[in-house]
Amino acid sequence: MKIAIVVQRYGAEINGGAELHARYIAERLSRHASIEVLTTCAKDYLTWKNEWPAGEEKLNGITVRRFPVTRPRNIDDFGRRSTLVFDRTHSLSDELAWLDSEGPRSPALIRHISRVRDKFDFFLFFSARYYHACHGSRAVPDKAILVPTAERDPAIGLHLLGSVLRGVRGLMYNSFEERDLIHGVSGNQSVPGVVVGVGSAIPERTQPWRFRKKFNVKRPFVIYVGRIDENKGCPALFDHFINYAESHPRGLDLIMLGKAVIPIPEHRRIRALGFVSDADKFDALAAADLLVMPSKFESLSMVALEAWALGKPVLVNGACDVLLGQTRRANGGLWYESFQEFAEAMYCLEATGPVGTILGRQGREFFRRHYAWPVIERKYLDMFDRLKREPSTRPVEPWPGWWARRQRTLPPAREVVDRVPAGPSPR
Amino acid sequence: MSDFQVKSDAVDVDAIMRQIRARIREKRGADYTEAEVQDLAKVKLEQFLDPKGVRSDLVAQFRRHRTVSPAPPNYEFEDDTIYETHRGLLRSIRRLLNPLLKLFFNPNKISAALHVQAKVNQEFHQRFRQREDMDPLYYELVHNLALEVTRLGIEVHNMKMRVESVSSRLDFDERRGRALENVVQYKAARPAGGDRTQAPRSQAPRAQAPRAQAPAADSATPLPTVSETAPPVTPEGTATGAAPDGQPGGGPPAPGVQNGQPDGEGERRRRRRRRRRRPGQTMGDQAGGSNADATVASNGPSEPAAEGRPDARPADAAGPSADPGSTDQ
Repeated sequence: MKIAIVVQRYGAEINGGAELHARYIAERLSRHASIEVLTTCAKDYLTWKNEWPAGEEKLNGITVRRFPVTRPRNIDDFGRRSTLVFDRTHSLSDELAWLDSEGPRSPALIRHISRVRDKFDFFLFFSARYYHACHGSRAVPDKAILVPTAERDPAIGLHLLGSVLRGVRGLMYNSFEERDLIHGVSGNQSVPGVVVGVGSAIPERTQPWRFRKKFNVKRPFVIYVGRIDENKGCPALFDHFINYAESHPRGLDLIMLGKAVIPIPEHRRIRALGFVSDADKFDALAAADLLVMPSKFESLSMVALEAWALGKPVLVNGACDVLLGQTRRANGGLWYESFQEFAEAMYCLEATGPVGTILGRQGREFFRRHYAWPVIERKYLDMFDRLKREPSTRPVEPWPGWWARRQRTLPPAREVVDRVPAGPSPR
Repeated sequence: MSDFQVKSDAVDVDAIMRQIRARIREKRGADYTEAEVQDLAKVKLEQFLDPKGVRSDLVAQFRRHRTVSPAPPNYEFEDDTIYETHRGLLRSIRRLLNPLLKLFFNPNKISAALHVQAKVNQEFHQRFRQREDMDPLYYELVHNLALEVTRLGIEVHNMKMRVESVSSRLDFDERRGRALENVVQYKAARPAGGDRTQAPRSQAPRAQAPRAQAPAADSATPLPTVSETAPPVTPEGTATGAAPDGQPGGGPPAPGVQNGQPDGEGERRRRRRRRRRRPGQTMGDQAGGSNADATVASNGPSEPAAEGRPDARPADAAGPSADPGSTDQ
């Protein structure tokens, strides 16, 4: 079986998001099938500048074929077009222009997919909202399997994504909440799909004392792992934690791992260690009392899964449907919607607290049952088998004509998303 | 292919969250989520906007004089605005000549700048409109605050007056309490000072004792009188009016009891006659009509008063039972 994995960026340096998800899947599926990665030369997701050379290379035993991006992203143009399609009545032509503006625009990649369509059994597209997934899945609709990695943001309400989500052969969802959202906006219930998620490269053994010694960490702490950004809810986390530190002088410290995009407040109990290696990250997770995830928009929190894998409970933002649903299903942590809940939950989840250890253990059990690699691989392979058995019957929806594409009749994408009920899926 | 169906029964995070919320509710009294707080705030503001909620016409006047700024001109400026025309042919020609135009200058930059400016204008106008909408709300809020402050001022004034009244009553009660304490101390000190009992005082007229007894039972204020008419004390230090069971008796002797013995039927009759005497009537007048009075006393309105006295009971009880005509037999 030959599988092509199509993703917007690919590289060992990219250690988060859909790109890391794609790399993990490629490396794990390479044990069962011949895998080739088709991607762009871009490295930075904000500019999409061509930074890697075009052509073929090998990465961890996987063939990676890169194609150039025609132009870097123009932030102003992208912002203007986003306002138009998200907040105003617009046309399909506007949406296509928005997609081009978002990038990474690589017609060469799409042409290559069309050219080699017979060489592969399936094309696994990652991230529905990008150029390669929208145009690539339309180029090979009968072989396209989409991993949407969709969050509850307005982009998922675009009309053109609806036709993509209805037109592919299969969908690999990250969570039940993501599946419900996509069903709500696109009405693609008839498309075969399964909630899979992704595993992680959990080390066999961790050394928490090594992390404590290396970074001179003596007190118990709560850890945040990820980009320190406003979109990730970090400002609210700082506010809550500073209030917590004042009311709980003997409570936990906050240690933050990841690149800081916003300034971090000066506080004696907040430490930002910047970007660290995977070994340090896992050692830090093992040394922490719990993991905190303040983000409101997540399709799947890989770091939460990693914390559970190491037996650590998580504290998540209750406003994020996916995190809330995952935490409730796992019985592996608590959530907060206000500072009072944040402080009480922090107390509960401390290693010496009443339930922290138990919830961590339950989280580990949840991870082992649903996110261990054999389980994930089995779900992918089962989907491939199923799609091979079932012939493709749905023709791809053609684009409307030249005139119809320019009719401004489509509702604002934000309205479309807002119409879909929010909240975690029932257990 | 199995979907997730997790049932970890050891600890239920929903139950923990319920406990956490209950604890928070205990701490702050009511469990309002942020959304509920916002709803409550909205309700209050809506009440402010309700003219029935504001007992004044100031707001109405403010609204009458309020002017709404006119709608802004159309600031919309898109990529194709500079080519817009109601003639389709002309639009097409302009588009065809667009590359020619771009030889001279870059119209895209102008379009982008004007688009940004249009957005700024629109946002400014939107904020201005919001401000205009908020003005009456602020006015009403200030007005209601002024009302509340006035009401609170009056209430504070009333409370001050009440405090003054309560403090004066407290002073009075303290003075009265001190006076009573002095009396109690005086009474407690008397039995201890046996040397103060004088033989001549023990021979004080016994007829005064019953007279002094009635006011002493009514209230505490005439207590000094009680002490003045205290029963005579024997040389051994025991009061003559002591209870027959040997209890120390500080009070006066019981009515009809002298030296621990009843004083007989004669004294009782004398008191009864004295009680039934009408104003202006002499003992001699009363002697003639004693039978009629006795009938009134036994059947008329004065009977309860006579019954209230313990010493009247034996005589009244003996009257009717002694009358053969009054019995059913």
